[in-house]
Amino acid sequence: MKLVAHSFINASGLYVNGTRQIDLTGEENFLKKAYSELNIDYSKFHKMDNLSKLAFLATELMNEVVSFPAEGEGMQLIFANQSSSKQTDMRFIDSYANQGSPSPSLFVYTLPNIVTGELCIRHKWYGENTFFIQPAFQSAQFIEQAELAFSKGNTQCLCAWVDAKWQGNEECFLFLIDHSEGLLKPTELLEIYKSYTHE
Amino acid sequence: MSNLREELKAQIIEQLNLEDLTPSDIVNDGPLFGDEGLGLDSIDALEFIVLLDTHYGIKVPDPNAAREIFHSVESLASYIEKTKA
Amino acid sequence: MIPVYVTYGALISPLGETKEMHVLALKANQSGIRKVEKSGFNGEDWYLAKIEGLSENRFDQLFQKGCAALIQSLGKDILSSPSTRVILSSTKANLSDVETDAFESMRRLTIELLAVAHEPIVISNACVSGVLAINTAADLIRTEKCDDVIVIGVDAVFDFVVYGFQSLFAMSDEPCRPFDKHRKGISLGEGFGSVWLSRKQHNDFCVRYLAGSSSNDANHISGPSRTGEGLYRAVKRTLLRAERQPTAIDFISAHGTGTLYNDDMESVAFNRLQMQHIPVNSFKGYFGHTLGAAGVIETYTSLLSMEYNLLFKNEGALEPGTAETINVLTQNQQQEVTCVLKTASGFGGGNAAFLMEKLDV
Repeated sequence: MKLVAHSFINASGLYVNGTRQIDLTGEENFLKKAYSELNIDYSKFHKMDNLSKLAFLATELMNEVVSFPAEGEGMQLIFANQSSSKQTDMRFIDSYANQGSPSPSLFVYTLPNIVTGELCIRHKWYGENTFFIQPAFQSAQFIEQAELAFSKGNTQCLCAWVDAKWQGNEECFLFLIDHSEGLLKPTELLEIYKSYTHE
Repeated sequence: MSNLREELKAQIIEQLNLEDLTPSDIVNDGPLFGDEGLGLDSIDALEFIVLLDTHYGIKVPDPNAAREIFHSVESLASYIEKTKA
Repeated sequence: MIPVYVTYGALISPLGETKEMHVLALKANQSGIRKVEKSGFNGEDWYLAKIEGLSENRFDQLFQKGCAALIQSLGKDILSSPSTRVILSSTKANLSDVETDAFESMRRLTIELLAVAHEPIVISNACVSGVLAINTAADLIRTEKCDDVIVIGVDAVFDFVVYGFQSLFAMSDEPCRPFDKHRKGISLGEGFGSVWLSRKQHNDFCVRYLAGSSSNDANHISGPSRTGEGLYRAVKRTLLRAERQPTAIDFISAHGTGTLYNDDMESVAFNRLQMQHIPVNSFKGYFGHTLGAAGVIETYTSLLSMEYNLLFKNEGALEPGTAETINVLTQNQQQEVTCVLKTASGFGGGNAAFLMEKLDV
């Protein structure tokens, strides 16, 4: 398997294949800023929770350098994070504990896999997908899961580590792996992830 | 009572967690629902029911029947004015 | 091709803590759903399938009970073997720890109580988690990553989830009635379900996992697709990979939550798949909707149907009525049960399915 492309977003910027495309340092609402910089018209974006916004932006950016298969055919989504939908969970608890009534529009985002749902809606992808919880970014699990995906006929895996523990700590590392020859090692993947996060 | 429309816009942003938007992003008679408008859907309609209840003491009986009322800020405001009149 | 066999692990639910208790309860069509006073946000009495006697920390306690039952039924050796992996499936995990880490305790308890050799894999993909976990387990064995996988699905009833479904007007004010004409919504439940997938046969009653798949509706994050697109595609791919026709299937263990739109969606998909004549049930009328545990619990109970050649009535469906007609089981049915399709659908547009088949031994 081979790493085709990767993108990354956090409060410092939007990156593709290691290069910063958009500087977001100092932005009060870096997700909103990134959205406007990318010149996208997708009104649903404003309704999304931070987790979905992160993955949405990273995917839009990657889409500028790669083309995804029509209907997501043969492309499995392998997504993971550490804190599930914690940020939205806390906001939903606040809605019923302090704001008077449980908010339905928050409740529907209290699941991590809403992220993959939002991407599938945006891009009309009908492929296979699974969301994992990992104690920290586990490159070996991504690669193992990609092997499983390829063993049943998929040819690409769009993977993401998309986590939002608390305000200001949001990040999404998105990477596309394909079935072609090559031996992608967990250590390589981890190095790339680290190069983004420990800048 | 044009203040009502501005008030509604702020409440919509707050109730529907649309912090990205400012009241000026919402047009009085523009559609709130669907991709042409703010991209709102049936879940958000439930939030409007909560909004009308908590801020205006108006109980909307059926979420489906409320579609016309929730069409735009204008239709919401007219409904509130009519009901409170 | 490496074969994958599937058999019982353990099951803790309001209906009991052993296989025997569940056989008896299901045969007698006993439901675990009860009225729970003042369980709603405004003090409503909702119907829930809660396990009696769980303490304040109900998730961890349920998990501990489940682990003890697993050790009892499978023995310690297989659980701690270096060639065994564990997959945990949960939608909300231990929500009482949400401020720190809701998924930490189940991971820790698995390592402590089951003495597993590898860190468990955790899947959290809403209501399709359990079926995805079973599919992932089979893939791990097929690709020779390991010999055995213990799949555990677990979720508990928390106010958080009750209030959430209430805010969506999705809670039924009577025990849920999946696929019934007059269904009014869901009843939430809790439970610990576990199945054991292996490359070896372990008993005379032998069921082989054939193939599975998943697909997203690409339609709406919380509303089911009107056309059943994702479910249709997931089952289609499953049939293709399993090299089976719909005519081979004796029984469908469907998702059937009891909400108007979900059950209609499933009926549409099964009709598109030419499966409208196949006996189908939802087990939600017995266990309530146990979220991430549901797929595993319902696989366990489908195995019971295969072992006893007995299809269980779709509890709650007095008068089946969905957008398209399907063959809902309105009473228990004794018949040969060889090939079973398990499906699940959920928030986030997720759908998943797999086929399993009984072998003559």
